[in-house]
Amino acid sequence: MTEEHDTPPTPVLERIPVHGDCPRCGAEELRRYPVVSEGGWFEVVKCQQCLLSLDRSPWSRLGPIQLLTDLL
Amino acid sequence: MTTLETTPSTTGSEQTRLRDISDAEFTGAYGCDRFTAAVILNRLRYAVEHMSTGFMREAFSPIIRDWYDFACTISGPPRHNYPMAVVSNSLVVFLGTLGDAVRNTVEEFGPENLSPGDVLICNDPYRGGTHVNDVCFIRPVFVDGEIVSFVNMRAHQLDMGGTVPGGFSATKSNVYENGLVIPPMLLWSRDEPVRSTFSLIFDNTRWGGMLLPDFKSIYQQLALGERLVLENIERYGLDAYLGTLTYACDTSAERMRDAIALVPDGEYTGSALIDADGLDDSIDYTVQVTLRKQGQDIEVDLSGTSAQARTCINCGVLDAKTAVGVALTMLLDPEVPFTSGTWRNIDLATPPGTLVSSLPPDGGIMMFWEASGAVVSAVFDALNPALGEKGVAGDYGSTNTHNASGVTADGTPWTSATQCGGEHGPWGATKEGDGDSYTVLFFLNNLDPATETIEHDSPVVMLRKEHAIDTGGPGTFRGGAANLKDTLWLSEGNHYLSPFRTKVPSGVGANGGEPGPNGAIWIFPPRDGADDRPAMLGTTPDVYATSTPVAGVLDPVTKALDPVDGEYHYFASRQVWQTKTGSILRCLTNGGGGWGDPFARDPERVLADVRNEYVSVAGAARDYGVVVIGDPRSDPEGLRIDVQATAALRNQPS
Ligand SMILES: [Zn+2]
Repeated sequence: MTEEHDTPPTPVLERIPVHGDCPRCGAEELRRYPVVSEGGWFEVVKCQQCLLSLDRSPWSRLGPIQLLTDLL
Repeated sequence: MTTLETTPSTTGSEQTRLRDISDAEFTGAYGCDRFTAAVILNRLRYAVEHMSTGFMREAFSPIIRDWYDFACTISGPPRHNYPMAVVSNSLVVFLGTLGDAVRNTVEEFGPENLSPGDVLICNDPYRGGTHVNDVCFIRPVFVDGEIVSFVNMRAHQLDMGGTVPGGFSATKSNVYENGLVIPPMLLWSRDEPVRSTFSLIFDNTRWGGMLLPDFKSIYQQLALGERLVLENIERYGLDAYLGTLTYACDTSAERMRDAIALVPDGEYTGSALIDADGLDDSIDYTVQVTLRKQGQDIEVDLSGTSAQARTCINCGVLDAKTAVGVALTMLLDPEVPFTSGTWRNIDLATPPGTLVSSLPPDGGIMMFWEASGAVVSAVFDALNPALGEKGVAGDYGSTNTHNASGVTADGTPWTSATQCGGEHGPWGATKEGDGDSYTVLFFLNNLDPATETIEHDSPVVMLRKEHAIDTGGPGTFRGGAANLKDTLWLSEGNHYLSPFRTKVPSGVGANGGEPGPNGAIWIFPPRDGADDRPAMLGTTPDVYATSTPVAGVLDPVTKALDPVDGEYHYFASRQVWQTKTGSILRCLTNGGGGWGDPFARDPERVLADVRNEYVSVAGAARDYGVVVIGDPRSDPEGLRIDVQATAALRNQPS
């Protein structure tokens, strides 16, 4: 180490709790968050126990990145 | 035309296997019979290889000609969400990102704004992955006024502007210093060059004279690809053509699903370390991965990964996605064709703004493959313990990229890009055998520039390019050997060196094998007053005392490798390493990891390794418990195994 710096905080992915339980495994642990997969970005509602996707809706084309030109 | 299924287990029911559906169902789903689909797919694979060969033959740029730094793909139409169905046998990081790059580029430009004869370009890493030097060239294929397909090429351009000639440096701070960012734009419109686009590029990049003929060649290859696609549609019909694209992606998806099912359900974590960014060495960067696996689905979560770096060692999320696809393909089923369908049952969840999902403008992206390579390592680290004998040991981890430029005594400018560092190195071992020794990182798949070409183009002599002894991770199957490269510079030069993974082994072991040791980089200045030809450098630890260390964990006095008690040397402690005429640059890569218990290695294989100087006599005893008698240099035929001593060594309680 040549000099000390504060290491920046580690970014966190927000997984928003969704009310309800999983139709496949019964777990009461559904969360909404973005994923990237075949076909690009999706916002999913997914069981955190068995990974069942209850919903997969296309999300922003570039994920979290917004283009200023999209405001034109 | 419908695909059989397009999303991971939304219903959770078992999908019908492709081989089990009836001929009638197949034709209903894919618009042709199985035989025809196979024929069309092979003809399309021929098309992308034909485009590649043409470009390789015509390219002026050394990075195309000598490195094969490009790739070709065929994607389906917007109404099918741009499935990438056919890929060339080439640079995997390009193939992995091209599916999304085509979709993002065309959607932003607007497919309704495209015409026959157009070539659309984009080089923005955040829109299409990799780095600004890699320009995507996309040509729509029309039938009866409708886009039915895209033929695509991504090719590395030798320079894209920015503060560093050629761009390969970890020191650039943001996208503005990094280079020219081209949004989706037309380079050809209805088969006419768009002069304003060419000017934008030539006015902002170096060596446009090299770029222009390559652009013209790319245009011709895309026209060839379009022609070959149209010939297939004419011969077999549009339904059969589009159905074949769907079938190709469904095949990848099914095989990857089968492969994922081999992993026991559960949660697996792994990590990989990058030494430092280009600002200072006060922060090291960790890629942290958690794989959650249930049934046929995997969610790969990169939470816990360090925040994006302060200089351009980051990669974008599309590169992280490629890395996950490559790692799972290599671990689970290397035969799976790499199409969009590879990711059907894989979800990547990542916080924005990490080292491997960086954001503009500060999270600059240049050395993208180093960060995404750490994703591959982290996935190996996570899954190897669960996979047992199916585990795959790690590779050399970093291309240790070297770039240099200068002016010779007679005033001729020269430049050497990605030829004289540690760009090539070993792979890890697998259950099938020893790791290969002189290749490229798992997900690159390039060529190796010829020594004659390198020496012709730059004032340099390649003194050594050899396998270093005792550098393959010991195992029942040995890791590939590290590469040791010595180059003698016949002119003063400015060197940029970017080795990123010297602190902890990248060549992790598998199934009980040992990791490969780490490498380093040194510069040996010319000896004072020595005007004669510089002598060859030895390879024993005592030679390093006169060196200037560039990178690696080294003994502070002898400057030889000392992974345990050594001191880390930071590769960008000088942004530019200036050398005098007669300097020698030495790059030693990391070694590949071993697979399985080293003491279970067949003694005859150890003997062969001693004879071939992969392993020393001392290393054979220490690492493998095999006592070899004789001298591999003076009497290679006389080498033999001391069976009794070997048995005694191997049976010692550890
Ligand atoms: Zn569930």
